[in-house]
Amino acid sequence: MGRKVFMIDTSRCTACRSCQVACKQWNKLPAEAAVNRGSYENPPQLTAQLYNKIEFIETEENGEFKWLFLNKRCLHCGEAGCIKVCPSVGALYRTAEGLVGFDQEKCISCNYCVNGCPFDVPRYDANNKVTKCHGCIDRVAAGLQPACVKACPTGTLLFGEQDKLLADAKKTGRPIYGEKALSGLGAMYLLSDKPQSYNLAENPKIPTSIFLWKDVIKPLGILGFWGAVGATLLHYVTIGPEQLEDVEYQDKEGE
Amino acid sequence: MTNHWIDIRNSDVILIMGSNAAENHPISFKYVLEAKDKGAKLLSVDPRFTRTSAKADLYAPLRSGTDIAFLGGMIKYIIENELYHSEYMQLHTNAPFLVNPDFKMPGDLDGLFSGYDADTRKYDKATWSFQRDADGVPLRDPSMQNPNCVLQLLKKHFSRYSVAVVSDITGTPEEKLTEVYKIYASTGVAGKAATIMYAMGWTQHTVGTQNIRTMAIIQLLLGNIGVAGGGVNALRGESNVQGSTDHCLLFHILPGYLPTPKASWPDLATYIEKSTPKTNDPDSANWWANRSKYITSLLRAHFDSNLTAADGFGYDLLPKLDDGQNASWLMLFDRMFKGDIKGFFAWGQNPACSGSNANKVRKALTKLDWMVAVNLFDNETASFWKGPNMDPAAIDTEVFFLPIAASFEKEGSVTNSGRWAQWRYQAAPPLGNSRHDSEVMNELQFRVAQLYKNEGGAFPDAINKLSWDYGFKGVDGKIHHVDIHAVAKEINGYFLQDTEIKGTLYKKGELVPSFAFLQDDGSTSSGNWLYCNSYTEKGNMLARRGQSDPSGVGLYPEWSWCWPVNRRILYNRASVDANGQPWDKEQPVIWWTGSGWKGDVPDGGWKPLSQPGTKKSFIMLPDGVASIFGAGMAEGPFPEHYEPLECPIEKNPLSGTKNNPTIKLFHDGKDGLDEDVFYSCDQRYPYVATTYRVTEHWQTGVMTRNIPWLMEMQPSMFVEMNPELAKEKGIKNGDWVKVSSGRGEVDAVAIVTKRFRPFKVQGTTIHQVGLPWCYGWHTPNSGDSANLLTPTIGDANTMIPETKAFQVNIEKRG
Amino acid sequence: MTTYIHRYNALQRVLHWTVAASFFVLLLSGLGLFAHAFYKYFDFFGGAERGILFHKWAGIIFLVSSILLFLGNVREVCRFDKDDARWFAALGGYLSRKKPHLPQGKYNAGQKLFGIFSILATLTMAATGLVIWDATAFDRNLTQFSLMLHGLFFILFMMFVIVHIYLGSIGNPGTIEGMLWGRVKPAWAKKHAIKWYKEIMGEK
Repeated sequence: MGRKVFMIDTSRCTACRSCQVACKQWNKLPAEAAVNRGSYENPPQLTAQLYNKIEFIETEENGEFKWLFLNKRCLHCGEAGCIKVCPSVGALYRTAEGLVGFDQEKCISCNYCVNGCPFDVPRYDANNKVTKCHGCIDRVAAGLQPACVKACPTGTLLFGEQDKLLADAKKTGRPIYGEKALSGLGAMYLLSDKPQSYNLAENPKIPTSIFLWKDVIKPLGILGFWGAVGATLLHYVTIGPEQLEDVEYQDKEGE
Repeated sequence: MTNHWIDIRNSDVILIMGSNAAENHPISFKYVLEAKDKGAKLLSVDPRFTRTSAKADLYAPLRSGTDIAFLGGMIKYIIENELYHSEYMQLHTNAPFLVNPDFKMPGDLDGLFSGYDADTRKYDKATWSFQRDADGVPLRDPSMQNPNCVLQLLKKHFSRYSVAVVSDITGTPEEKLTEVYKIYASTGVAGKAATIMYAMGWTQHTVGTQNIRTMAIIQLLLGNIGVAGGGVNALRGESNVQGSTDHCLLFHILPGYLPTPKASWPDLATYIEKSTPKTNDPDSANWWANRSKYITSLLRAHFDSNLTAADGFGYDLLPKLDDGQNASWLMLFDRMFKGDIKGFFAWGQNPACSGSNANKVRKALTKLDWMVAVNLFDNETASFWKGPNMDPAAIDTEVFFLPIAASFEKEGSVTNSGRWAQWRYQAAPPLGNSRHDSEVMNELQFRVAQLYKNEGGAFPDAINKLSWDYGFKGVDGKIHHVDIHAVAKEINGYFLQDTEIKGTLYKKGELVPSFAFLQDDGSTSSGNWLYCNSYTEKGNMLARRGQSDPSGVGLYPEWSWCWPVNRRILYNRASVDANGQPWDKEQPVIWWTGSGWKGDVPDGGWKPLSQPGTKKSFIMLPDGVASIFGAGMAEGPFPEHYEPLECPIEKNPLSGTKNNPTIKLFHDGKDGLDEDVFYSCDQRYPYVATTYRVTEHWQTGVMTRNIPWLMEMQPSMFVEMNPELAKEKGIKNGDWVKVSSGRGEVDAVAIVTKRFRPFKVQGTTIHQVGLPWCYGWHTPNSGDSANLLTPTIGDANTMIPETKAFQVNIEKRG
Repeated sequence: MTTYIHRYNALQRVLHWTVAASFFVLLLSGLGLFAHAFYKYFDFFGGAERGILFHKWAGIIFLVSSILLFLGNVREVCRFDKDDARWFAALGGYLSRKKPHLPQGKYNAGQKLFGIFSILATLTMAATGLVIWDATAFDRNLTQFSLMLHGLFFILFMMFVIVHIYLGSIGNPGTIEGMLWGRVKPAWAKKHAIKWYKEIMGEK
């Protein structure tokens, strides 16, 4: 089975937010008390009860006013910062379809994933356990579309085989965000404007420090540990310990 | 809709004006985007940059209430650049008809047509007529060059609407006007189609009907009526508002758009004689000549079948309007306010929030003796007596609340904007004590009938002689479970006796196959002739789920059922030329094979127009052609720009007639209720305001405000304004502000956004603000309805309130 | 018979072993966060969340006891002379069986280096540890950088500690007695800390 991905065609999004509600309905996520802060966009951020949301972005360029809509969610990175930093085996994991799932029973509440994510996605719930969009693993495993995709009336949200969705997206000639980044995002944006207009990082990356930590320091450290142990043992059998008797003997000689 | 939702995908140009389809009809955008995928251009014209505008190829702003000026400029552009579809107009419209030479237009009469009487505020329409030959058939000039022909008069009338003049009225930049005109008018050639998607942004004006007329004229000029991807498409605001209109939601019609009887039409014969349109043109089908069959069959469905022709089949039992009586919404609440109405069923509605000038509505409710609120949830109407500024101790209205099932909790049909009547099934049983509407009505009918039987009373037959066969009656005579299929079958109609038609015998009790079989002798019944053919001996057509599309243009004739007789695109005989060949060869709706029609169900099965013995293509109109010149309108056969009743400018730039001269003024400046005073060009209320809905809430929000997920997305009342105005008023984004009109005030969160821009009109800067009307005091912290601000004034033809253009002030909340 | 020389008082010994014990608690409770391979180590503490709690408390104990231990020896540790330079040049003579003459004080140059490294590493570990105490409290980049430094210094510390243990035990017989019982043999003192030996003998 090939990898399954989301393709999010922003040119089709009318910000009806069916995706927001359908997600809450399927995942039984309660509403949060909200206030209007001078925008349609609400809640202002992803939360532990909000796995996906629409960002409303007003921009103006060369006198042309634009209102852009972006479905913000876990992008199910091919190389996922959250999985990389998670100390607990299986708390964050990759499903057979290539989605990034989570298992709250295995979550150790270390919060590392929260800032290991290049897109500021994972959240902690009231029980201090990780939560985020899991691509409706349960529905997908049963052969259904994720709830948000099912509810989307305009075809903004698509879910399916990576190869096919990518091929279709490329036919439009518009910029695709996330095809290559992080070994290919599991939720790609087919944009109708340049990535910066959507406040998307031009070149999303796992922070260098995570890379240094997990891919350099950790292996070197293990090498260093055994190196140190080995060196001392080698020293013991080649050069050997400094016997006090030697000293006493030398002392006597010297006297 | 003349067409239907899926058909939008066939358009080459889509104009969304007077509606905000992306937000309020989100599903429609599936088809709008499909059209765009095929290269269609999407035009968005709106005072505010909306989620629809965000998807448009071109956005043009206009000041609320200036749509006729905007579109009038387009008519001028089309005619003067000869971009119209001549052949289409000659065949299918009254453009070549010669008009009475005494007919005068606003250019000559300072904004008025000939025949105006300032005292009655009505027109004598004698001059709004065609020149006719000795047989009474209208005279035509096929070349359309005669200065008195409709096209030339239209040209003359709209010659006053130059781009500069229009821009000065609408505040739309001139280049945007021209761009819109150019793109839209590009569909005047055969094979191209443009559609208009409109809603309350057009209807809810004092010139609402004329807004739509203006567009209809444009569509006829361009040959866009009857074709795939064309039409004039009203996006209905509720899932079943089309159905409720078809089944006589409005006071002036009975089911199937039959006129409501008047007191001066004492019997059925008079009704038929007075209300049946006539024609002298042998080529006109004049379908309404069948009215006698439809009203008779309706009466046979309504009332006891033992009634006879001698009883007028129960005509006497129908309620009648007094001559000249208007019983529309504004009038009802006006009468209620004045204490004339004692009891009120608020059934599935929330007038305390939805009614224009809601403070007046709320006060009117206090004058009632009793009110029955039938709804899913408690709301501002049901609990009006404990609302803001109410003293429960001083209110004598007795209020009953009947909890009712939601649409998902019952079986039945819903008719969408595209006239598809679709059968739906119960998804879940009703919660708690709530019941289906039909069960509540059944109970009411039974109990009222019992009261008449036991206690007597005036005029019992109107209730007791209703036919009421909607299920099995128990020994008590009561139906304990309403069979909704029995209702659907009654709407279709039965043969009431064995009848032979064209050699086929139909037995008593059989369902009538279609309205062509309805009779005026009492032998057939039909609860709504337009739905005759919907539930036949072949079964429940509404429940069909066939997905074949032999036409290839998305007609899906086997999916549900569509009135009339499953015709998916109205006026489809205008989609072909005189030889029956489609203008659009790639997307044909119907076509003549030489022996018959293929494609959609044709609008009458007659041969193509070039062949003898045919009938003209617009069969519902006496002249058989579409009306570019429409004498039926209250304010003139051609649309003319008038300012909204409350407007920010002193003078109508086009004439000395500022407002629609035929609207009913509830307050004339001297006499009237304080509640109905209007404030035009009043420094206290300097800003134009409009109201609208949002995607996240539905209507007054009674359903959606009770769904926390939706409240999370749109939690409270807001007012949108441009940054310039906000700066002037010291308002920052997110501040609470007070919005007030002459009728009330609401608190709202300021959304300061460039999606609103100031308008340059007549050398001044005009600011506009906009508010939703989906909130109400009953939901804590959500605010209240924008309709507290809107005026008591209606369209001259329909009396729909002008909630889309009025004047307000805004101030930062201290 | 004065066979033994007093080297550490009880407080110093307790402090050292507190540091040592908390170090090993930190090691065991931290390895699970360091790599999936060691995740099972959390089982010693009854699960990862309690393991992390242990790690945090052990970190505080380690920090405080390390500072105290360092302050108790700061005068000796932070004093380098020419002999130390020679010691460094000869790498303490550890790489050959032929022993050069390298007179040293109470602590040899390597021990002093270890002491200074330890306190610097401890402070770094503490500072980064506080940043990642709540991984959402600080700026994302700072947190990530801290995690990296925490890991890096852990490795370096670990390597130093391995050498320390070796040299303090089987590598240099007699050394551990000082830390266990507080006294060393005169022969040990003469061999490893002749300057210190002479100093205290002179004082007597």
